[in-house]
Amino acid sequence: MTDDTPFDAVAAGPRPSDAHDPELGGHPAEVPDHPSVTALRATFGDAIRAHQLHAGDENVVFVDPAALYAVLEFLQQDPDQRYDYLLDLTAVDYGAGTPIQVVYQLWSLGFHRMLRVKVELPLDALEVDSVEPLWKTADWLEREVWDLFGVTFRGHPDLRRILMPANYAEGHPLRKDFPLRGRFSRAEQTRRALALEVDDNYTVLERELGAEPQIVPAAPAGEPDDGRGSDDTMKGE
Amino acid sequence: MGMKETESTTPIDAPGAPQAGTPLPGGGTSARPEGSGGLFGSGGPTFLTTRLDWVINWSRRNSLWPMPFGTACCAIEMMASAASNYDLARFGMERMSFSPRQADVLICAGRVPYKLAPVLRRIYDQMMQPKWVISMGACASSGGIFDNYSMVQGIDTIVPVDVYIPGCPPRPEGLIYGLMMVQEKIREERLSDHTVNRAEDPLAAGHPRASAPEIEGLTGPFGNSTRQNRLSGLVRTSRISRPDDRRP
Amino acid sequence: MSTRTVEYEVGRSPEMGVDGKPAYGPLAPVEIPEPELGSEHMLINIGPQHPATHGVLRLVCELDGETVLKVIPHIGYLHSGFEKQGEYRTWNQIVTLTDRMDYLAPLIYNCAYVMAVEKLMGIEVTERCKVVRVILMELDRIFGHLLWLGTTAIDVGAFTPFLYAFQEREKIYALHESLTGARITTSATRVGGMMADLPEGWTEACRSFINELPRTIDEVDYLLTTNAIHLGRTQEIGVISAEDAINHGFTGPNLRASGVPYDVRKDRPYYDYETYDFDVPIGEHGDCYDRYLCRMEEMRQSIRIIDQALDRLPGGSIDIDDPNVVLPSKTDCMNDMESMIHHFKLITEGIQAPVGESWFSVEGSKGELGMYVVSDGGSKPVRWRVRPPSFVNLSVIPKLAEGHLVSDLIMINASLDIVLGEIDR
Repeated sequence: MTDDTPFDAVAAGPRPSDAHDPELGGHPAEVPDHPSVTALRATFGDAIRAHQLHAGDENVVFVDPAALYAVLEFLQQDPDQRYDYLLDLTAVDYGAGTPIQVVYQLWSLGFHRMLRVKVELPLDALEVDSVEPLWKTADWLEREVWDLFGVTFRGHPDLRRILMPANYAEGHPLRKDFPLRGRFSRAEQTRRALALEVDDNYTVLERELGAEPQIVPAAPAGEPDDGRGSDDTMKGE
Repeated sequence: MGMKETESTTPIDAPGAPQAGTPLPGGGTSARPEGSGGLFGSGGPTFLTTRLDWVINWSRRNSLWPMPFGTACCAIEMMASAASNYDLARFGMERMSFSPRQADVLICAGRVPYKLAPVLRRIYDQMMQPKWVISMGACASSGGIFDNYSMVQGIDTIVPVDVYIPGCPPRPEGLIYGLMMVQEKIREERLSDHTVNRAEDPLAAGHPRASAPEIEGLTGPFGNSTRQNRLSGLVRTSRISRPDDRRP
Repeated sequence: MSTRTVEYEVGRSPEMGVDGKPAYGPLAPVEIPEPELGSEHMLINIGPQHPATHGVLRLVCELDGETVLKVIPHIGYLHSGFEKQGEYRTWNQIVTLTDRMDYLAPLIYNCAYVMAVEKLMGIEVTERCKVVRVILMELDRIFGHLLWLGTTAIDVGAFTPFLYAFQEREKIYALHESLTGARITTSATRVGGMMADLPEGWTEACRSFINELPRTIDEVDYLLTTNAIHLGRTQEIGVISAEDAINHGFTGPNLRASGVPYDVRKDRPYYDYETYDFDVPIGEHGDCYDRYLCRMEEMRQSIRIIDQALDRLPGGSIDIDDPNVVLPSKTDCMNDMESMIHHFKLITEGIQAPVGESWFSVEGSKGELGMYVVSDGGSKPVRWRVRPPSFVNLSVIPKLAEGHLVSDLIMINASLDIVLGEIDR
């Protein structure tokens, strides 16, 4: 990591790792206006913590985690923004106890605009609102970030591990403090992998469905309204 | 007629021996001199069981039904082997058996993460004896370039492996060569060793093949790739000699 | 569900109608009567080792009879830790990881990754390199679509297109091999250029390939596009509206089948894609059949692009002229002290990327493929993230399959064109 970068002077203070290479397009003072950032500053004020330009044309906005959902909802719903695509949702861990960044990559089909929104979450408060109600894309992507980084998304309908096995006990692999080959020995990893029972591969919901046969009574003849009894049973669960 | 001279020192005196000139399934004829030879010779495999070995091994090795356990890049090469250019059907192996119950040889093509390890073991346990396992590609054989938290460092820690095919991924020719090595291995098998080689241990089902210290040894840096030849149990790995197949 | 009037040819030699034209029969919608009997919901598990899941995907389905009520996909059975592994690799070493991620169209991943790094480092590659990469990316779009075509046709019961598709794929394998030495795991790109320039005779071989390919596409077209079984298995199956497709993050042919004309090559052109003359096929109904049609047409458009790119292929160096990024030639290395030093530094330390981050997305064969690299100024990335198109596309399968039959679930899964190596990463 380099320490002498032009970004150290910025009060909003991204860490040196975030600093921009001066050769590539710009001193922070020269970050050109982005219409969405201007609108965000006007609407949310101090919740917009910083605006950076990366790699020439990539606008990055740092947002207060408490205001994240409101900011993203504004970006999606406002008729002048209309970011209808959540292209990507991921996280970055710089290690050494620095906050974990959750990154939202947005794209507006109508305005042909791209924006990256970031929140910084300190390691003792890895929690942020889920944006699954806004973009269904976020469902799996948030599960992945939870699985690999351990960031909790408040209000996510089904936050559980997605890539690692359900009984994985070594932590969150993409954290910088996680060793490349895992925390357990290879023998222990093999033992744990094969110790998984068949039932462990099913979620609680699936096990309930599979365990108790649901006998749906036959529809009495002459009552066509009751013919879709199976669907009612599903709703009742 | 291609008759062979037998050593007259072999004590064969049981009744009911095939007469000289009797046609045998192998296409040859009994080489025993009249009045000698028998089914129940004392000590060592007798004449008849040797020929039975030959017939059974011949039928087994020429109609291998592979169970394609394809996960990643190697699975694509496996598909290419089955497609028109390479055409596995030439070797009697085109009948991909997607059910492990009817399969003879498990082709593990591609990387196997720990999450998939119980699946691999279960499929191996479900296969009927006799069964063989091919580890196709670097990742299946030793973890390949993925020496990290999620990857099994060689499937021979999970299941016994008969043939390893190197390459990332191996070319279809490589897979075909590997399958021919399995054929070669089958050719060497003896029914008299069957109870030893082909015994199923129900207690082993669902457990890793290797013990914990062995896994630690195998999965050290560069561990598995250097030990595989010894583990594989292949008698010969240098060349494929198939004189028997040339006979009618 | 609205029914769509479907016309198909009855057999290969249709009966002649009264007006002397072939008689077409409508595919009548079948009224399925409400079941009279009581039924019991059933939980079945498909995968992770199943021939029709296109990899090690696992689907847990709740069924009412044969109707799918709910699908719960389970992924991660091929999680190989790519992104963690990348943090321990230098910038150029990661290229070898990218083609193992999507082994159906490896060159697109090779190119997309180095394009992100080049953007981070502010490198503008040479004109020749740009055109070569366009050719390679379009070639692998065909490569990926051909495999999709073959395997999907198997899923609906047609084996012949698989053999046809692999016949053509073998020609692309040969092109890969003459360029890179490998059939699938190409690792063809390097930051600032390519592993090697095109070998002698490669452009002619590529030209003859794209001249022959349309015949095969037409043959498969003839086999499938008006095939009654194929129509019955794909039309009105797995329908998704444009709004839902956008909200769920669909990209690529899957999105365009729903009628949204979003293509990264047109909307955020890279490598002068705006100067190539090609069309983006758009579907109308958003069902499996339209996805099939879109991919078939995309292959034809890719042929057009390759044709134009081969025409304009300029001469000159394929690598940029920067000794801090590109390895010197072996001759220079052996004769020139300075080149030797550069070579030594590049091999032992790797390329140094500036502090910062960059996102670059290209139109992959599966959808929008984004590469996000974060650097702290060293020779290894802090974070290398792939925006996986199949991952996002697959997450929609519970919505698509709801209410269809189990056999339709297989077709829907196939029509999404997933590759598990990139979903699980």
